[in-house]
Amino acid sequence: MKKNPFKSKHYATSKIVYRTEPQDVEQSEEERPNVPQGIMTKCPKCGKVIYTKLLIKNYKRCDECGFNFKVSAHERFAMILDDGELQEFDAHMSTRDPLNFPGYGDKLVRTQKQTGLVDGVVTGKGLINGNPALVGVMDPAFFMGSMGTTIGEKLARLFERATKERLSVILFTASGGARMQEGIFSLMQMAKVSAAVAKHSEAGHLYITVLTDPTTGGVTASFAMLGDIILAEPGALIGFAGPRVIEQTIGQKLPEGFQRAEFLLQHGFVDQIVRRDQLKQTLGTLLKMHSDRTLA
Amino acid sequence: MFKKILIANRGEIAVRIIRACKEMGIETVAVYSEADKEALHVMLADEAVCIGPAKSKDSYLNIQNIISATVLTGATAIHPGFGFLSENSSFARMCEDCNITFIGPNADTIDLLGNKSRARETMLKAGVPVVPGSDGEVETVQAALELAETIGYPVMIKASSGGGGKGMRAVFKAEDLENLYNAAKSESKAAFGDDKVYIEKLIVNPKHIEFQILGDSHGNVVHLGERDCSVQRRNQKMIEESPSAIMTPELREKMGSAAVKAAQATGYVNAGTIEFLYSQGEYYFMEMNTRIQVEHPVTEMVTGIDMIKAQICIANGEEMPYRQENIEFRGHAIECRINAEDPSKNFMPCPGRVENVLFPGGLGVRVDSALYPGYVVPSCYDSMLAKVIVHGSDRAEAIARMKRALSELIVDGIQTNVEYQYELLEREEIISGNYHTGLIEGK
Repeated sequence: MKKNPFKSKHYATSKIVYRTEPQDVEQSEEERPNVPQGIMTKCPKCGKVIYTKLLIKNYKRCDECGFNFKVSAHERFAMILDDGELQEFDAHMSTRDPLNFPGYGDKLVRTQKQTGLVDGVVTGKGLINGNPALVGVMDPAFFMGSMGTTIGEKLARLFERATKERLSVILFTASGGARMQEGIFSLMQMAKVSAAVAKHSEAGHLYITVLTDPTTGGVTASFAMLGDIILAEPGALIGFAGPRVIEQTIGQKLPEGFQRAEFLLQHGFVDQIVRRDQLKQTLGTLLKMHSDRTLA
Repeated sequence: MFKKILIANRGEIAVRIIRACKEMGIETVAVYSEADKEALHVMLADEAVCIGPAKSKDSYLNIQNIISATVLTGATAIHPGFGFLSENSSFARMCEDCNITFIGPNADTIDLLGNKSRARETMLKAGVPVVPGSDGEVETVQAALELAETIGYPVMIKASSGGGGKGMRAVFKAEDLENLYNAAKSESKAAFGDDKVYIEKLIVNPKHIEFQILGDSHGNVVHLGERDCSVQRRNQKMIEESPSAIMTPELREKMGSAAVKAAQATGYVNAGTIEFLYSQGEYYFMEMNTRIQVEHPVTEMVTGIDMIKAQICIANGEEMPYRQENIEFRGHAIECRINAEDPSKNFMPCPGRVENVLFPGGLGVRVDSALYPGYVVPSCYDSMLAKVIVHGSDRAEAIARMKRALSELIVDGIQTNVEYQYELLEREEIISGNYHTGLIEGK
């Protein structure tokens, strides 16, 4: 072995303390670093803390566990439509509170302020990879996406317009069911929208539904399941009555993954589960395959 | 000027940055993983914060912990060094959100240049030559034949979703194209589930020549000359020199202004490097690195500009005190990277305790390293131990000086590539300067 020029020992440190000219920099409050509220978001499923801007860029999907965060109607349009451009229909249509339900009016105004929405669905026309379509998106933040008279009316009009303009309809469903505060009027929307869907279908046009978390109650029991093609987001809860209600009624434990999109796919209720980042591409391709232009 | 800077890196580059900060009168905060408790950068910094376990993912790549350390210590800027988070646009953006200055280009520029096809498009628009090839997928053999005819043989067929050399075929003449095209397509289908391929001109035996760029927020951009980094093994550079042996003042003028144009096209601010492939008088833009490079010292030695200080001043919004005509290139500089690896065992990394260290000295010799006697090289990070940089009045003197320096260097206790580097310097190709990227792997 080569001769070692050093002795191995505990290392020494310099006796000189390096000093520089002290700086007189007074930091004002604005100059100091600070972490703004909401810069990070925690994934409720796996607990990973994600940079919020990155989460939005990644279609509000956790890159660790694939959990889909809830998206608002406008976020959905931004993800799906070319340049996020929507030509909105019936933007100011609001409910008339047909039952004069106690407290409903106040809650409605509060929710409208909070969400910036007039009611639980936004409809309009836009392009998906250059293919025109009429698109409706239900917003789960508005009364749990529950369906009242406004949603019914806006959707019925959307289908009527699509029939007239010979266009396909894409509907993103998210709903807790019928809006209790509008009672029987809510339930009547199921039949109304379904009838409009039927006419659109008879005229030979395409209707695609994308079931998102959660799609339940009267919405599942009507137009959500009427799509010519039914897509779903991974892990979405899709059903009529909620799992807790069923368990209590039948007195049995439900199987693992019951009422989730994957379960429904296995049992033939859903045609395909599509990840959010591939949704625009999938919808664009479907529209292209079914458009008049390809026939011509 | 910043009062306190946090260095979000480790090893030699962290030490390099701390040194610059000290000379500028800026306090420093080091961050370290549990494996780096006794690292030199931790001892040299004014403050040090542990940011997580040994794995990079949990420490040096842990954005939240690094931002928290910055806020808690009251640092107002972060220097990312190279590697780790240096080219992470989300990190840069998050710094911005938290009122912390990221010492580097802004997040959008990092995004733009990190995206190969967008970067290529931008360069084409700016009139910077790029490797000729197809715009996206080549769908048929016929299209492939026509394209190859226009750009000229040899061409390279590459898988669109490829990597690691799979789905790649070099085509030297038209007769072979059809077979190789189909082979690339089926291999790509098998490996990536996608048979899309594109075609690029194959640059035979290229030199890797890169230009150092500095841009300030007042719209000034200068280049600090080139570095020849063609001595590579598995795309890892081993020896870098400036100037390149093949460079002429005319060519430097041409490539330098192309590099400046490229930086201006992206509104580039701070230090960056434009990488070119050079072959037989032609050069092509390859990519732009949006950070300080490992081999920045060779540029510092020939230009006399302290690039870390320049980065800090630029990040502070200052105007660069020099223009292109003030940049002078003096002499010749070479850098050898000394790694903890065993060349006889296929360059297997050799971490462990460094019993003793003796660094070379004398005129024109510089060693950038975080080594000290008794230091344990951790196995979980890069194996680079030191950079030996020499400066000489000409290339011959620089080579002689490097050989002398390497012969003095002692790193006792672990295997290193010092002898391998020394032998490289005796190779005829290195002495003549006529080497290309295939030098070591014999491509």
